[in-house]
Amino acid sequence: MGLSKDLNYAYYPGCAAKQIQKEADWSARAIAEELGISLHDMPKATCCGAGNLQEHDPAAGLAVNARIFSQAEEMGMDIATICNTCLQTFSYANQRFKNEPELLADINEVLTAAGIRPYEGTIDVKHLAWVLVDDLGLDKVKQKVQNPLSGMKVAPFYGCHALRPFEVFAGRGGERPLYLDQLIQAIGGEVVDYQGKDKCCGFHVMLAGEEDFLSMSGGHALNAKNEGADVMVSPCTLCDMAMGAYQAKAEKKMGKKIGLPEMSISQLVGASLGLGKDRLGTDRLHQDPTAVFKKYGVEL
Amino acid sequence: MAEEKKTTTAKKAVPKKTAAKKTTAKKAPAKKVAAKTTETKTVKKKAAAKTVTFRVKRGERWQEYDVAYDASTTVLSGLEQIKGDQDGSLTFRRSCRASICGSCGMKINDRSRLACKTKIKDMIEGMDHRNYQGRDVISIAPQGNQPVIKDLVVDITQLFNKVEAEEPYIKEGPERVEAKDKTAYEQVNAVSNCIMCGLCYSDCTELEVNDNFHGPAALAKAFRFVADPREGQKTDRLKKLSEKGGIWDCVRCGMCVDACPKGVAPMEAIGKLRHRAIEAGITNNRGAKHAIVFKDDIRNGGLLNEPMMLIKTTGLFGAIEQIPNALHLAKKGKVPSFFPEKIEGLDEVKRMFKVLEETELDVETKVLDEGPGAG
Repeated sequence: MGLSKDLNYAYYPGCAAKQIQKEADWSARAIAEELGISLHDMPKATCCGAGNLQEHDPAAGLAVNARIFSQAEEMGMDIATICNTCLQTFSYANQRFKNEPELLADINEVLTAAGIRPYEGTIDVKHLAWVLVDDLGLDKVKQKVQNPLSGMKVAPFYGCHALRPFEVFAGRGGERPLYLDQLIQAIGGEVVDYQGKDKCCGFHVMLAGEEDFLSMSGGHALNAKNEGADVMVSPCTLCDMAMGAYQAKAEKKMGKKIGLPEMSISQLVGASLGLGKDRLGTDRLHQDPTAVFKKYGVEL
Repeated sequence: MAEEKKTTTAKKAVPKKTAAKKTTAKKAPAKKVAAKTTETKTVKKKAAAKTVTFRVKRGERWQEYDVAYDASTTVLSGLEQIKGDQDGSLTFRRSCRASICGSCGMKINDRSRLACKTKIKDMIEGMDHRNYQGRDVISIAPQGNQPVIKDLVVDITQLFNKVEAEEPYIKEGPERVEAKDKTAYEQVNAVSNCIMCGLCYSDCTELEVNDNFHGPAALAKAFRFVADPREGQKTDRLKKLSEKGGIWDCVRCGMCVDACPKGVAPMEAIGKLRHRAIEAGITNNRGAKHAIVFKDDIRNGGLLNEPMMLIKTTGLFGAIEQIPNALHLAKKGKVPSFFPEKIEGLDEVKRMFKVLEETELDVETKVLDEGPGAG
C-alpha cells in the first residue's frame, strides 16, 4: 500500500548523513537520479529522535515522528531513508499509529494544538535499498550497470535496526532478508556469507562503552575479511561509521589488521552505475577501496 | 503477545489442515492450537517418510544424524528420536514439550529457539514472516554466551545469578503504592511471562563482548519489580540499574525481542527502565546524558548537533579524550559543524514541545490482564 506513485519519495537522510556521513547522502541522491527515482527533500523534518528521545520522553518521540509522517503525507509520498536507526524509530512509531487509533488520536491532538497538520496514518516508511528492490525492480538496476563488479566479493552488513523486531518492518526485517544480497548480485558482485552479517555494529554504545563497541564492529569486519570479503557494504549511515570510519581504532584495540574497505550500499551500487568518485564521495572513506575496485576493473 | 501467537501459527501449512488452523490461529487460545497439532502428529506419523539431517555440535566436533519428520515434528522430537533409537549419549535438556518450562533452548540454525516450539518443517522450508530462509540440513548447537557442560547442555548459573542479583521480590519502602485496579499491572504483565529459557541471554550481542552486562532476562525481571506499584524502593533499584553493566550497556540490537518465545520483549523493558531512570533524575552517566541531548537539540534547532552531543554526553574531560577520534574523522573531511543548519518551521516544533509539556500523555505499550493465567 502506501502513498508513493511513480517512484516519488519523501527523502529522509537522517542527521548522520547530513553531517558526518555526507557521502551516504550524495551517493543515495546520485543513484536515485540515475535510476529514475525522485527523492524529494523534507526541509521541515526534524531529527527522528533515534530511539533516544523515545526513551527520554516517549510522548515527544511519537509526536516528533507523527509530525514528520504528516509532512510526507501532505506531499503524497512514502518516506525513503538511508539510516537504519531512523528506519527503525519510524517503523516502530508508524506501526503503533496504524494499529492503535487511540494513540494516534492523542498525538494528533498535540499536533493540532500546536497548529500542525495531523497524521492520518497512511504513509509507509522504507529504506532506499527496499525501494530499489521492491518498487523499482532489480531488472531496472541491472539494465543501468556500466561497471559490473565482476565477481567482487562483497560482505553485506544488514544492521540491527533494519532487522529487529521483525514485526515492525512489514516483511522486510527478520532473520535473513536478502535485499542486500540481491542488490550485490544484480550489480555483478558475489555475496560473502559470514556469522556477523546480521549482528550489531555497536554504534549505540560508542560513547557509553567504547571497548564493547570496538570489539563488536572490529570482530564482524574481521570475520567478513576472513571469509574472503573484498569489501563490506551496509545500508546504514551509523553502521558505516562504526564498521568503516572506526575500523582503524578497532584494529588498534584488537591488535589485528583488518583492512576491509566498508561503504554504503549506495556507493557500491553507484560505482557499478559508473557514477564516479565525486558524486559518490568515496574519497571520504577511511578504508580506501581504490585497489579493490581496480582489481575487479571497476572504474571510479 | 497476541502478535506472537499470530506469527507463529499464521503461515502456509499443508493444504488439508490449513483452513482449520487459520481460523484457530487468530482468536483461539494457544492450548487449542497445541491440542490440534498433537492430533495431526499421531495421525500423520504413520505416513511419515521424509528424513532430514541434524548436524549437532558436540564439543569441538559436529555429528550428523538422520531424523524422520512430518509436518508437525518438532526439533525436540527429532532429538529424542536420536537419543532413543540411534545414540543414547546425546545430551540435551527437556521437560514439558510445551514451551512452558524453558529447558530446551538451543541454537537451531544459528538462532536460539526452544526445540519443542520449533518445527523441523519450518526450519527446512523457511518462514516468510520472519524472512527466515530454509535450509536442507538443520544445525543444532548449545546456547551462546554460557559455558558448555556437554553437547547441548550449558551451565545456566550465570543467567540465574544475574536474575537473582536483581533481587526479584517486592521490597518494603516509602515508594510503595497500593494498587487500585488491574490497570496498575499493565507494565508488570508485559514482562512476567518470562520462563527463564535463556534464549535472549544466548543471542544477546552485548553479552558476546561484555560478560558483566546483566543481560536481557535479568533486566526484564528488574523492570517487573520497578513497574510493580507495591515495590517500595523503585528509585534505589533504578540507581543500581544505571551503573556499569546495567540498562545503558544495551546496544538495542533487538535480538532478545525476536528470540523470546513468550513475547516478553526485554529490549522494550530496558527502554522503559531508561525512561524511568531519567524521570527519577538518575542522569549522571553517559547513557542517560546521551539520551537527553536529543530532546534539546530537536527543540532548539530541529537536527542533532553532533559535536555538542559528544561534549554533553561525555563531559568536557571525556570530550578531550575524544579529540583523537575527531582528528581521525577529520582526515577524511568528516568535520561536523557546531552550528548545523536549522530546519524550516522550527516555531511549529517549539509550539509542539510546549503543548507536550502541558499535556500528560501515557503512551507506553501495555499488556492488559485478560483473565485467569494472564500475566
